Amino acid sequence: MLEDKPTYERFPIRPGKTYGLMCVVPTATEATKIETEKQVHAWPAALTRELALFVLTLVILSVVALLFNAPLEEPASRLHPPNPAKAPWYFLGLQEMVAYSAFWGGIGIPGLLVLLALAAPYLERKPGGEGVWFHSSRSAANWVFLGIVGTLLVLTAIGTFFRGENWAFVVPW
Amino acid sequence: MSMDKVQIPWTDSDGKPGFWGALHSLPRRVYHSVFRSRPIPANDLERSQAVAANFFFHLHSAKVQERTLRFKTTLGLGLLSLYTFVILVVTGILLMFYYVPTPVEAYDRMLDLRGAVFFGTFLRNLHRWSAHAMVGLVFLHLMRVFLTGAHKAPREFNWMVGIVLFLLTLLLSFTGYLLPWDQLAFWAIVVGTSIASYAPVVGDELRYVLLGGDSVGAEALLRFYVLHVAVLPVVLTTLIGLHFWRIRKDGGLAKPREK
Repeated sequence: MLEDKPTYERFPIRPGKTYGLMCVVPTATEATKIETEKQVHAWPAALTRELALFVLTLVILSVVALLFNAPLEEPASRLHPPNPAKAPWYFLGLQEMVAYSAFWGGIGIPGLLVLLALAAPYLERKPGGEGVWFHSSRSAANWVFLGIVGTLLVLTAIGTFFRGENWAFVVPW
Repeated sequence: MSMDKVQIPWTDSDGKPGFWGALHSLPRRVYHSVFRSRPIPANDLERSQAVAANFFFHLHSAKVQERTLRFKTTLGLGLLSLYTFVILVVTGILLMFYYVPTPVEAYDRMLDLRGAVFFGTFLRNLHRWSAHAMVGLVFLHLMRVFLTGAHKAPREFNWMVGIVLFLLTLLLSFTGYLLPWDQLAFWAIVVGTSIASYAPVVGDELRYVLLGGDSVGAEALLRFYVLHVAVLPVVLTTLIGLHFWRIRKDGGLAKPREK
Protein backbone atom coordinates (compact mmCIF):
# COMPACT_ATOMS: atom_id res chain seq x y z
CA MET A 1 0.00 0.00 0.00
CA LEU A 2 2.87 2.33 0.82
CA GLU A 3 4.16 1.82 -2.71
CA ASP A 4 1.26 3.96 -3.94
CA LYS A 5 2.24 7.43 -4.97
CA PRO A 6 0.51 10.24 -3.14
CA THR A 7 -2.11 11.86 -5.29
CA TYR A 8 -1.16 15.38 -4.22
CA GLU A 9 1.97 17.35 -5.00
CA ARG A 10 4.93 16.34 -2.83
CA PHE A 11 6.13 19.91 -2.52
CA PRO A 12 3.31 22.36 -3.25
CA ILE A 13 4.56 25.35 -5.21
CA ARG A 14 3.58 28.70 -3.74
CA PRO A 15 1.51 30.35 -6.49
CA GLY A 16 3.04 33.77 -5.84
CA LYS A 17 6.62 32.56 -6.28
CA THR A 18 7.83 33.08 -9.82
CA TYR A 19 11.45 31.93 -9.63
CA GLY A 20 13.55 28.94 -8.58
CA LEU A 21 16.82 29.24 -6.72
CA MET A 22 18.96 28.64 -9.82
CA CYS A 23 17.38 31.65 -11.53
CA VAL A 24 19.00 34.09 -9.12
CA VAL A 25 22.49 32.62 -9.49
CA PRO A 26 24.22 34.52 -12.30
CA THR A 27 26.94 31.93 -13.09
CA ALA A 28 27.59 28.23 -12.80
CA THR A 29 28.52 27.14 -9.28
CA GLU A 30 31.93 25.88 -8.35
CA ALA A 31 30.71 22.29 -8.50
CA THR A 32 28.75 22.38 -11.75
CA LYS A 33 31.38 23.84 -14.06
CA ILE A 34 33.82 20.99 -13.49
CA GLU A 35 31.46 18.02 -13.64
CA THR A 36 32.88 15.35 -15.91
CA GLU A 37 33.58 12.44 -13.59
CA LYS A 38 31.31 9.47 -13.20
CA GLN A 39 28.51 10.10 -10.72
CA VAL A 40 26.16 7.77 -8.90
CA HIS A 41 22.97 8.44 -6.98
CA ALA A 42 23.53 9.10 -3.29
CA TRP A 43 20.55 6.83 -2.74
CA PRO A 44 21.42 4.01 -2.42
CA ALA A 45 25.17 4.05 -3.22
CA ALA A 46 26.35 6.51 -0.53
CA LEU A 47 23.67 5.87 2.08
CA THR A 48 24.14 2.10 2.20
CA ARG A 49 27.91 2.49 2.52
CA GLU A 50 27.45 5.02 5.33
CA LEU A 51 25.03 2.72 7.16
CA ALA A 52 27.39 -0.24 6.76
CA LEU A 53 30.29 1.80 8.16
CA PHE A 54 28.21 2.86 11.17
CA VAL A 55 27.18 -0.73 11.93
CA LEU A 56 30.82 -1.79 11.64
CA THR A 57 31.94 1.02 13.98
CA LEU A 58 29.30 0.14 16.55
CA VAL A 59 30.09 -3.59 16.41
CA ILE A 60 33.86 -3.12 16.75
CA LEU A 61 33.57 -0.65 19.64
CA SER A 62 30.98 -2.88 21.35
CA VAL A 63 33.29 -5.88 21.13
CA VAL A 64 36.14 -3.79 22.56
CA ALA A 65 33.81 -2.61 25.36
CA LEU A 66 32.85 -6.20 26.15
CA LEU A 67 36.45 -7.42 26.23
CA PHE A 68 38.28 -4.58 27.98
CA ASN A 69 37.15 -2.75 31.10
CA ALA A 70 37.71 0.98 31.47
CA PRO A 71 40.28 1.66 34.19
CA LEU A 72 39.07 2.67 37.63
CA GLU A 73 41.68 3.27 40.30
CA GLU A 74 41.36 4.14 44.01
CA PRO A 75 39.18 7.16 44.89
CA ALA A 76 40.87 10.51 44.27
CA SER A 77 43.05 11.64 47.15
CA ARG A 78 45.21 14.73 47.17
CA LEU A 79 47.28 13.16 49.99
CA HIS A 80 48.58 10.35 47.79
CA PRO A 81 50.10 11.74 44.60
CA PRO A 82 51.25 8.98 42.24
CA ASN A 83 54.83 9.17 40.98
CA PRO A 84 54.86 10.03 38.18
CA ALA A 85 51.46 11.71 37.73
CA LYS A 86 50.65 11.58 34.05
CA ALA A 87 48.24 13.61 31.89
CA PRO A 88 45.89 11.76 29.46
CA TRP A 89 47.89 10.02 26.72
CA TYR A 90 47.20 12.65 24.04
CA PHE A 91 48.83 15.32 26.26
CA LEU A 92 51.88 13.22 27.19
CA GLY A 93 53.80 14.71 24.26
CA LEU A 94 53.18 18.11 25.84
CA GLN A 95 54.11 16.82 29.29
CA GLU A 96 57.33 15.41 27.87
CA MET A 97 58.17 18.81 26.35
CA VAL A 98 57.22 20.52 29.63
CA ALA A 99 59.93 18.45 31.30
CA TYR A 100 62.46 20.41 29.22
CA SER A 101 60.84 23.85 29.34
CA ALA A 102 57.58 24.72 31.10
CA PHE A 103 56.68 27.66 28.86
CA TRP A 104 57.95 26.40 25.50
CA GLY A 105 56.80 22.83 26.07
CA GLY A 106 53.36 23.59 27.45
CA ILE A 107 52.40 26.85 25.77
CA GLY A 108 54.91 28.17 23.23
CA ILE A 109 55.43 25.21 20.90
CA PRO A 110 51.83 23.90 21.06
CA GLY A 111 50.55 27.42 20.40
CA LEU A 112 52.85 27.88 17.42
CA LEU A 113 51.84 24.45 16.05
CA VAL A 114 48.14 25.40 16.25
CA LEU A 115 48.84 28.71 14.49
CA LEU A 116 50.91 26.89 11.86
CA ALA A 117 48.08 24.39 11.30
CA LEU A 118 45.50 27.19 10.93
CA ALA A 119 47.77 29.06 8.51
CA ALA A 120 48.80 25.98 6.47
CA PRO A 121 46.41 26.45 3.51
CA TYR A 122 47.37 30.13 3.26
CA LEU A 123 51.11 29.37 3.35
CA GLU A 124 50.82 26.60 0.77
CA ARG A 125 49.38 28.76 -1.98
CA LYS A 126 50.52 26.97 -5.13
CA PRO A 127 47.55 25.05 -6.53
CA GLY A 128 47.90 21.40 -7.48
CA GLY A 129 47.86 17.96 -5.91
CA GLU A 130 44.34 18.24 -4.49
CA GLY A 131 42.57 14.96 -3.89
CA VAL A 132 45.69 12.85 -4.51
CA TRP A 133 47.60 10.99 -1.80
CA PHE A 134 51.25 12.12 -1.50
CA HIS A 135 51.18 14.09 -4.74
CA SER A 136 54.73 14.68 -5.98
CA SER A 137 54.20 18.45 -6.33
CA ARG A 138 53.45 18.64 -2.59
CA SER A 139 56.24 16.45 -1.25
CA ALA A 140 57.95 19.30 0.64
CA ALA A 141 54.76 20.25 2.51
CA ASN A 142 53.98 16.60 3.22
CA TRP A 143 57.47 15.94 4.61
CA VAL A 144 57.27 18.96 6.93
CA PHE A 145 53.82 17.79 8.08
CA LEU A 146 54.91 14.19 8.60
CA GLY A 147 58.05 15.40 10.40
CA ILE A 148 55.97 17.35 12.91
CA VAL A 149 53.46 14.51 13.37
CA GLY A 150 56.29 11.99 13.76
CA THR A 151 58.03 14.13 16.38
CA LEU A 152 54.81 14.51 18.35
CA LEU A 153 54.20 10.75 18.18
CA VAL A 154 57.73 9.99 19.39
CA LEU A 155 57.38 12.48 22.27
CA THR A 156 53.98 10.99 23.17
CA ALA A 157 55.42 7.47 23.10
CA ILE A 158 58.33 8.53 25.33
CA GLY A 159 55.97 10.21 27.79
CA THR A 160 53.66 7.20 27.81
CA PHE A 161 56.08 4.26 28.00
CA PHE A 162 59.53 5.52 28.90
CA ARG A 163 58.95 7.80 31.88
CA GLY A 164 58.95 6.51 35.46
CA GLU A 165 59.45 7.94 38.93
CA ASN A 166 60.33 11.65 38.96
CA TRP A 167 60.01 11.58 35.16
CA ALA A 168 63.26 9.63 34.88
CA PHE A 169 63.87 7.69 31.67
CA VAL A 170 62.93 4.04 32.14
CA VAL A 171 62.73 1.09 29.79
CA PRO A 172 59.31 -0.55 29.96
CA TRP A 173 60.62 -4.12 29.49
CA MET B 1 2.58 20.90 -10.77
CA SER B 2 -1.01 22.11 -10.99
CA MET B 3 -3.15 22.53 -7.95
CA ASP B 4 -6.08 20.45 -9.25
CA LYS B 5 -4.29 17.23 -8.28
CA VAL B 6 -4.74 17.99 -4.59
CA GLN B 7 -6.92 15.35 -3.00
CA ILE B 8 -9.81 16.59 -0.90
CA PRO B 9 -9.46 15.28 2.66
CA TRP B 10 -11.69 12.36 3.63
CA THR B 11 -12.30 11.11 0.13
CA ASP B 12 -10.95 7.79 -1.12
CA SER B 13 -8.49 7.64 -3.99
CA ASP B 14 -11.32 7.68 -6.55
CA GLY B 15 -12.55 10.95 -5.10
CA LYS B 16 -15.64 9.35 -3.54
CA PRO B 17 -16.22 10.16 0.11
CA GLY B 18 -16.82 7.34 2.55
CA PHE B 19 -15.78 6.12 5.97
CA TRP B 20 -14.19 2.85 4.84
CA GLY B 21 -12.43 4.52 1.98
CA ALA B 22 -11.00 7.09 4.33
CA LEU B 23 -9.96 4.41 6.79
CA HIS B 24 -8.36 2.43 3.97
CA SER B 25 -6.26 5.37 2.83
CA LEU B 26 -5.32 6.51 6.35
CA PRO B 27 -1.97 4.66 6.61
CA ARG B 28 -0.94 5.99 3.22
CA ARG B 29 -1.92 9.54 4.17
CA VAL B 30 0.06 9.32 7.37
CA TYR B 31 3.08 7.83 5.59
CA HIS B 32 3.14 10.44 2.86
CA SER B 33 2.62 13.28 5.33
CA VAL B 34 5.90 12.22 6.94
CA PHE B 35 7.89 11.02 3.92
CA ARG B 36 7.67 12.74 0.58
CA SER B 37 9.02 9.75 -1.30
CA ARG B 38 8.26 6.04 -1.46
CA PRO B 39 10.25 3.65 0.77
CA ILE B 40 12.12 2.19 -2.21
CA PRO B 41 12.53 4.79 -4.97
CA ALA B 42 11.72 3.36 -8.40
CA ASN B 43 13.49 5.75 -10.75
CA ASP B 44 16.23 8.38 -10.81
CA LEU B 45 13.86 11.26 -10.09
CA GLU B 46 12.59 9.49 -6.98
CA ARG B 47 16.12 8.55 -5.93
CA SER B 48 17.03 12.23 -6.09
CA GLN B 49 13.94 13.18 -4.13
CA ALA B 50 14.61 10.50 -1.52
CA VAL B 51 17.81 12.39 -0.67
CA ALA B 52 16.72 15.99 -1.21
CA ALA B 53 13.38 15.65 0.61
CA ASN B 54 14.73 13.94 3.73
CA PHE B 55 15.99 16.08 6.60
CA PHE B 56 18.63 13.54 7.59
CA PHE B 57 19.85 12.85 4.05
CA HIS B 58 19.68 16.29 2.51
CA LEU B 59 23.24 17.25 3.36
CA HIS B 60 24.17 14.85 0.57
CA SER B 61 23.89 15.99 -3.01
CA ALA B 62 21.44 13.89 -5.03
CA LYS B 63 24.37 12.44 -6.96
CA VAL B 64 27.93 11.94 -5.72
CA GLN B 65 31.22 11.38 -7.52
CA GLU B 66 31.86 7.66 -7.67
CA ARG B 67 35.44 8.49 -6.74
CA THR B 68 34.47 9.93 -3.36
CA LEU B 69 32.79 6.66 -2.38
CA ARG B 70 35.94 4.59 -2.91
CA PHE B 71 37.44 3.67 0.44
CA LYS B 72 40.94 4.77 -0.59
CA THR B 73 39.80 8.35 -1.18
CA THR B 74 39.05 9.17 2.47
CA LEU B 75 39.50 5.87 4.37
CA GLY B 76 36.10 6.79 5.82
CA LEU B 77 37.85 8.72 8.59
CA GLY B 78 35.52 11.74 8.71
CA LEU B 79 32.45 9.50 8.98
CA LEU B 80 34.19 7.33 11.58
CA SER B 81 34.89 10.46 13.64
CA LEU B 82 31.22 11.43 13.40
CA TYR B 83 30.06 7.93 14.33
CA THR B 84 32.22 7.76 17.44
CA PHE B 85 30.77 11.15 18.42
CA VAL B 86 27.21 9.84 17.92
CA ILE B 87 27.99 6.79 20.08
CA LEU B 88 29.51 9.11 22.70
CA VAL B 89 26.42 11.33 22.78
CA VAL B 90 24.07 8.36 23.24
CA THR B 91 26.18 6.56 25.86
CA GLY B 92 27.00 9.90 27.51
CA ILE B 93 23.33 10.80 27.95
CA LEU B 94 22.64 7.37 29.44
CA LEU B 95 25.58 7.81 31.84
CA MET B 96 24.19 11.21 32.87
CA PHE B 97 21.19 9.41 34.39
CA TYR B 98 23.52 7.81 36.93
CA TYR B 99 26.28 10.34 37.44
CA VAL B 100 26.47 13.02 40.16
CA PRO B 101 29.26 15.60 39.75
CA THR B 102 30.33 15.96 43.39
CA PRO B 103 33.51 14.64 45.03
CA VAL B 104 31.41 12.75 47.59
CA GLU B 105 29.20 10.95 45.08
CA ALA B 106 31.13 10.70 41.80
CA TYR B 107 33.34 7.73 42.64
CA ASP B 108 30.48 5.81 44.30
CA ARG B 109 28.51 6.26 41.10
CA MET B 110 31.39 4.64 39.19
CA LEU B 111 31.14 1.66 41.55
CA ASP B 112 27.37 1.62 41.05
CA LEU B 113 27.86 1.53 37.28
CA ARG B 114 30.05 -1.51 37.79
CA GLY B 115 27.95 -3.32 40.35
CA ALA B 116 24.35 -2.14 40.37
CA VAL B 117 23.42 -0.70 36.98
CA PHE B 118 22.20 -3.08 34.27
CA PHE B 119 24.85 -3.04 31.51
CA GLY B 120 26.59 -0.24 33.47
CA THR B 121 30.09 -1.62 32.92
CA PHE B 122 29.43 -2.01 29.20
CA LEU B 123 28.03 1.53 29.01
CA ARG B 124 31.07 3.07 30.66
CA ASN B 125 33.49 0.91 28.66
CA LEU B 126 31.82 1.86 25.38
CA HIS B 127 31.91 5.57 26.30
CA ARG B 128 35.56 5.47 27.34
CA TRP B 129 36.90 3.47 24.38
CA SER B 130 34.81 5.49 21.92
CA ALA B 131 36.31 8.67 23.39
CA HIS B 132 39.86 7.41 22.88
CA ALA B 133 38.90 6.22 19.40
CA MET B 134 37.45 9.63 18.54
CA VAL B 135 40.64 11.48 19.50
CA GLY B 136 42.65 9.12 17.31
CA LEU B 137 40.21 9.10 14.39
CA VAL B 138 39.83 12.89 14.27
CA PHE B 139 43.62 13.22 14.15
CA LEU B 140 43.89 10.55 11.42
CA HIS B 141 41.18 12.43 9.49
CA LEU B 142 43.24 15.62 9.84
CA MET B 143 46.27 13.74 8.49
CA ARG B 144 44.25 12.35 5.56
CA VAL B 145 43.03 15.82 4.60
CA PHE B 146 46.54 17.29 4.63
CA LEU B 147 48.24 14.39 2.84
CA THR B 148 45.65 14.55 0.03
CA GLY B 149 46.02 18.33 -0.27
CA ALA B 150 42.34 18.76 0.59
CA HIS B 151 43.04 21.72 2.89
CA LYS B 152 44.10 23.97 0.00
CA ALA B 153 41.95 26.61 -1.70
CA PRO B 154 38.99 26.79 -1.83
CA ARG B 155 38.77 24.70 1.36
CA GLU B 156 40.98 26.82 3.65
CA PHE B 157 38.12 27.86 5.93
CA ASN B 158 36.80 24.34 6.36
CA TRP B 159 40.32 23.21 7.24
CA MET B 160 40.42 25.82 10.01
CA VAL B 161 37.01 24.69 11.26
CA GLY B 162 38.46 21.18 11.30
CA ILE B 163 41.45 22.28 13.39
CA VAL B 164 39.06 23.87 15.89
CA LEU B 165 37.00 20.66 15.92
CA PHE B 166 40.15 18.70 16.72
CA LEU B 167 41.01 21.02 19.63
CA LEU B 168 37.41 20.77 20.90
CA THR B 169 37.67 16.97 20.73
CA LEU B 170 40.76 17.11 22.93
CA LEU B 171 38.99 19.43 25.38
CA LEU B 172 35.92 17.17 25.49
CA SER B 173 38.08 14.17 26.21
CA PHE B 174 40.09 16.08 28.82
CA THR B 175 37.03 17.41 30.69
CA GLY B 176 35.50 13.92 30.70
CA TYR B 177 38.73 12.45 32.05
CA LEU B 178 38.18 14.03 35.49
CA LEU B 179 34.63 12.82 36.02
CA PRO B 180 35.30 9.30 37.45
CA TRP B 181 37.12 11.11 40.31
CA ASP B 182 39.64 8.32 40.84
CA GLN B 183 43.39 8.70 41.29
CA LEU B 184 44.00 8.39 37.53
CA ALA B 185 41.46 11.14 36.74
CA PHE B 186 42.42 13.49 39.57
CA TRP B 187 46.17 13.57 39.00
CA ALA B 188 45.91 13.67 35.22
CA ILE B 189 43.86 16.85 35.54
CA VAL B 190 46.27 18.26 38.18
CA VAL B 191 49.11 17.76 35.70
CA GLY B 192 47.12 18.86 32.65
CA THR B 193 45.80 22.08 34.15
CA SER B 194 49.20 22.98 35.59
CA ILE B 195 50.34 23.29 31.95
CA ALA B 196 47.75 26.08 31.53
CA SER B 197 49.43 28.03 34.35
CA TYR B 198 52.66 28.24 32.30
CA ALA B 199 50.95 30.73 29.97
CA PRO B 200 52.59 34.16 30.29
CA VAL B 201 50.89 36.91 32.34
CA VAL B 202 47.46 35.25 32.63
CA GLY B 203 48.61 31.67 33.33
CA ASP B 204 47.56 31.45 36.96
CA GLU B 205 44.31 33.28 36.29
CA LEU B 206 43.57 30.91 33.40
CA ARG B 207 44.05 27.91 35.66
CA TYR B 208 41.93 29.55 38.38
CA VAL B 209 39.04 30.09 35.97
CA LEU B 210 39.34 26.54 34.64
CA LEU B 211 39.34 24.98 38.12
CA GLY B 212 37.14 27.44 39.98
CA GLY B 213 39.89 27.66 42.59
CA ASP B 214 43.57 27.13 43.21
CA SER B 215 43.37 23.35 43.21
CA VAL B 216 41.34 20.50 41.69
CA GLY B 217 38.27 20.21 43.94
CA ALA B 218 34.50 20.29 43.97
CA GLU B 219 34.30 23.46 41.86
CA ALA B 220 36.65 22.02 39.24
CA LEU B 221 34.58 18.83 39.02
CA LEU B 222 31.39 20.84 38.51
CA ARG B 223 33.02 23.08 35.87
CA PHE B 224 34.47 20.16 33.96
CA TYR B 225 31.09 18.41 34.12
CA VAL B 226 29.16 21.38 32.73
CA LEU B 227 31.77 21.91 30.00
CA HIS B 228 31.73 18.20 29.20
CA VAL B 229 27.98 17.56 29.01
CA ALA B 230 26.62 20.92 27.87
CA VAL B 231 28.95 23.63 26.57
CA LEU B 232 31.47 21.69 24.51
CA PRO B 233 29.00 19.22 22.91
CA VAL B 234 26.76 22.09 21.77
CA VAL B 235 29.70 24.02 20.30
CA LEU B 236 31.09 20.86 18.69
CA THR B 237 27.72 19.88 17.19
CA THR B 238 27.23 23.36 15.75
CA LEU B 239 30.68 23.39 14.18
CA ILE B 240 30.17 19.86 12.79
CA GLY B 241 27.08 21.24 11.02
CA LEU B 242 29.15 24.11 9.61
CA HIS B 243 31.93 21.67 8.63
CA PHE B 244 29.52 19.44 6.64
CA TRP B 245 27.71 22.38 5.04
CA ARG B 246 31.01 23.80 3.84
CA ILE B 247 31.96 20.49 2.20
CA ARG B 248 29.00 21.00 -0.16
CA LYS B 249 29.60 24.73 -0.61
CA ASP B 250 33.26 24.18 -1.42
CA GLY B 251 32.33 21.78 -4.22
CA GLY B 252 32.43 18.41 -2.48
CA LEU B 253 35.55 16.45 -1.66
CA ALA B 254 38.83 17.66 -3.16
CA LYS B 255 39.20 16.12 -6.58
CA PRO B 256 42.23 15.59 -8.79
CA ARG B 257 42.79 18.12 -11.55
CA GLU B 258 42.21 17.16 -15.19
CA LYS B 259 45.36 15.93 -16.83
